[in-house]
Amino acid sequence: MIIHIDGKACVCEKGEYLLHVAAQNGIFIPRFCHHPGLPGQACCRVCLVEVETEAGGERQVVSSCVYPVEREMQVYTNSDKIKKQRRMVLSLLSARAPDSGRTAALLKSAGGSLPERFTRLAGEKCILCGLCAKACESVGTAAISVAGRGTDKKISTPFALPPDACIGCASCAAVCPTEVIAYVEDGGTRTIWGRSFQLKYCETCGDMLGTEEEVAHAANKAGGEPARLCPACRKKTIAGALGKPFARG
Amino acid sequence: MTEIENRAKASAAVPQPDTVRMMEMQALLDRYPPDPRFALAVMQDMQRQFNYVPREGLLALSSRIGRSEAQLYSMATFYKALSIKPKGRHIIKLCDGTACHIRGSAHLVAAVERLLGIKPEETTTDGMFSLELVNCLGSCALAPVMVVDGRYYGKVSADQLRGILDECRAGEEERAAL
Amino acid sequence: MTRTIFVCCGTGCIANGSLAVADALRAALDETATAYGQGKAAATAGQAERREAAATAGIQVEALVKQTGCNGFCENGPIVKIMPDDISYYKVKPQDAAEIIDSLDKAPVERLLYKDRDGRSLRSQKENPFYAQQMKIVLRNIGEIDPAEIDDYLARGGYAALKKALAMQPAEIIAEVEKSGLRGRGGAGFPTGSKWRIAASYDDFPKYVVMNGDEGDPGAFMDRSILEGDPHCVLEGLAICALAVGAEQGFFYIRDEYGLALHQVQKAIADAGKAGILGNAIMGSEKKLHLEVVRGGGAFVCGESTALMASIEGRPGEPRAKYIRSVQRGLWDKPTVLNNVETLANIPFLILEGGAKFAEKGTANSKGTKVFALVGKVKRTGLIEVPMGVSLRHLIFDIGGGLLSDRPFKAVQTGGPSGGCIPAELLDLPVDFDTLTEKGAMMGSGGMIVMDDRDCMVEMARYYVNFLCGESCGKCTPCREGLRQLRNILTDITEGRGEPEDLQLMEEICDTMRDASLCALGKSAPNPVMTTLRYFREEYESHIRDKTCPAGHCPKLTAFRIDTDKCTGCGRCAGACPGGAISGAIKSPYRIDGSKCLACGVCRDLCRFEAAIAEKAGYEA
Repeated sequence: MIIHIDGKACVCEKGEYLLHVAAQNGIFIPRFCHHPGLPGQACCRVCLVEVETEAGGERQVVSSCVYPVEREMQVYTNSDKIKKQRRMVLSLLSARAPDSGRTAALLKSAGGSLPERFTRLAGEKCILCGLCAKACESVGTAAISVAGRGTDKKISTPFALPPDACIGCASCAAVCPTEVIAYVEDGGTRTIWGRSFQLKYCETCGDMLGTEEEVAHAANKAGGEPARLCPACRKKTIAGALGKPFARG
Repeated sequence: MTEIENRAKASAAVPQPDTVRMMEMQALLDRYPPDPRFALAVMQDMQRQFNYVPREGLLALSSRIGRSEAQLYSMATFYKALSIKPKGRHIIKLCDGTACHIRGSAHLVAAVERLLGIKPEETTTDGMFSLELVNCLGSCALAPVMVVDGRYYGKVSADQLRGILDECRAGEEERAAL
Repeated sequence: MTRTIFVCCGTGCIANGSLAVADALRAALDETATAYGQGKAAATAGQAERREAAATAGIQVEALVKQTGCNGFCENGPIVKIMPDDISYYKVKPQDAAEIIDSLDKAPVERLLYKDRDGRSLRSQKENPFYAQQMKIVLRNIGEIDPAEIDDYLARGGYAALKKALAMQPAEIIAEVEKSGLRGRGGAGFPTGSKWRIAASYDDFPKYVVMNGDEGDPGAFMDRSILEGDPHCVLEGLAICALAVGAEQGFFYIRDEYGLALHQVQKAIADAGKAGILGNAIMGSEKKLHLEVVRGGGAFVCGESTALMASIEGRPGEPRAKYIRSVQRGLWDKPTVLNNVETLANIPFLILEGGAKFAEKGTANSKGTKVFALVGKVKRTGLIEVPMGVSLRHLIFDIGGGLLSDRPFKAVQTGGPSGGCIPAELLDLPVDFDTLTEKGAMMGSGGMIVMDDRDCMVEMARYYVNFLCGESCGKCTPCREGLRQLRNILTDITEGRGEPEDLQLMEEICDTMRDASLCALGKSAPNPVMTTLRYFREEYESHIRDKTCPAGHCPKLTAFRIDTDKCTGCGRCAGACPGGAISGAIKSPYRIDGSKCLACGVCRDLCRFEAAIAEKAGYEA
């Protein structure tokens, strides 16, 4: 089916999410809590757009990351209303995480500035998008989660202690849009969430494979032996093993 | 001799050997099928039995239903009925619903603080009382309402408060004397 | 004559000691029976046997004590009602029991009757203005039956609607509900029939039906009273809903704080199962229905449908975007109908009497009756049921008897944290779904909190915002962060640090919260702020510009003094002053020591002579 985003005709499948359709058609919608590898969360509310399902009908404000296209419609990603709401949402996020450069930059590019009157959470960088916890659930071991609720909500390990379940894969840090989650790699170990993990390297080329626990977890999930080689070297080895008979022949 | 006595005293002071508690915990878990949908019910039962959700309880539940400790921790900190810190033996719930609010629940909060030295969500150092400011208890006609150990008190004044708390203390001393 | 003595044992009356009253009445009855020569053995027999024995012995004074659900007039509890004489007693104490029993064949106990404004004693609830102007559909059984006895419910026509529904096609049931015009009583007012029709249309099994009993609006207790007082009625409603949409599994989600309601519903489910009304063969038919109670975890947001379902599934109660509705994909991604307690309590009546008869009551777009919890600064507080469309004035002044101490009316807060404050000039508005929404408030689930001139509207807004700061799930930015900023600004205003630009900034935050929040909680969270800004703007301006709280409520802006001309020296205020700031000698004027005064206003609330006066505090920035 065809929908129109900011006047541009975009081909899409029924049920496809608006944010995805826009991206496929070269239309950028700013967002924080979305990651292509994870299900949409609709919590940062930066990716808001207006949709109009009947010509001249009432427009509805929706979050494009989870809004499925069910019928033909007009979508507005930059209407006055959306611009205004986006500026306010980004202002609120900037007040929450004044130390996040990316949030400040996004607010600036949206034409807004942080009102003086807003109370800032000093030293905070986290915007509570929750991507880290989602990534940990899907890639890791669900070792971190959101804790509490309301204005006191935060990302935490159980009892704010170094998490037993963590495998040190650092997927949380990789998906974090505001670079809050810090980890240190030093002399064969990686330290994250207050725990240190031994790193494992490719036996052929010496590239890092990840932490021991991470490699074991991946093997466990896939049902095989823990990897000893990096993907590139593994490919080479397999190709080599396959190649030998031909070479002989 | 004194050393043995001291040891005996020390062991008597330990509230409960872990094994007993783990057995209680297991019995509690066994009340429900091992299905994540009973996670909240199980934790509510723990709260009732132990006055909080102990970490070992979370871990036992985690391995039983296949939810990670962090996921259960998320629930335990989300729901107000659950607490990850031990609560006092007597729980004072002051209703701060709108009706109680406009009929002076704030005075009662101040009175509890004067009498016990605790603010909402705090527990006295002797572990006797916890103060909770709770949402509307649906007894607005009797505002301000207070519930102590499940018993409702309506139209409470700061004066009455002292009497109610003294009753709790006296009850405990009586039991201790038996 | 066979009499029944009903003792109200709703949570309110229990708090006032009604269980002891019931016990005392039973004991007094036993004593009377013994006195009539029945012997000691009778005292240990059940009440029914005693009644029978008494009847054969030709004894006139014989009666049965029954514990009922909430009679609604909680402030005057414990309430005791004697039928068929139709005598109601209020504020009954255990020591009154013997006198009540003794009076059964004589004149009623005068001092326990309700007195009207002119001091006339009223025997019957029908004469009592609090009850006389109500219309009871949902509450029709409450106070008339023992909710723990399924036979009581059956004796009043209970489960006849379910029997009728079993003989109907699901489409016929739904058509009847649609014809009635019934809209969801939880607050949003979605047409119940449409909800059922959509859920029935999906061929995706199993389906689920859920009762939302996570009543959390401060000042609302309709659902608690219904569940406590007539659990079978709600159960029957849910069973009919299940038949209509094709579900075989249902859940009752009830706040954990509602201990008595939980108990009554659990007992009702067990009794209905034993009676063959539920289970693998509903009333002997081939239909199945299994019901289960889920205790809420103490989270206001779980009143939101998707959060409630997340909670039943065993996750934190965070809502999801509802672009795909839960009637299509709800619990465990299966079609799920979620209805509020009061909505379901309307169903048995509606099926028995027909949708058309139901639609005769109420207004064009809001049919039937509505139960309200009338509380706050009103003379007669309690639970009332009236046809949709009556005016706020009628509710507050005719049924509620006006304001406490006849103080001036300032506002009525409806709809809890999702609703708003309605000022005096709108008192003649009809109460229904659409009118209040139009005015920026919301009927909500039915909480009505009456406020007088001593209640500060800025403080009200701050109170609700503060409530929501703790009760929002915290998932989406506008709600979580918007509330945080609103709370800080409102706290500043009530403490004298407000700035002129604050009002516009708050309006902008509210606007974004309403449009951009994820769920209904966030979208409606700004209502208390927006309605007070709309109707009481000058009060905000006084706080900001003049640093005064016109209501004399905000402690940082208020000081109290005693008018020596008016003070009679009764000393009442001095005894209650939490700061120990008031001193004086009995029968001569008291004075307040400003350095100790907390400006809490207890003295003003207690003073019967208007001698404690609130004034602007010597504000220092």
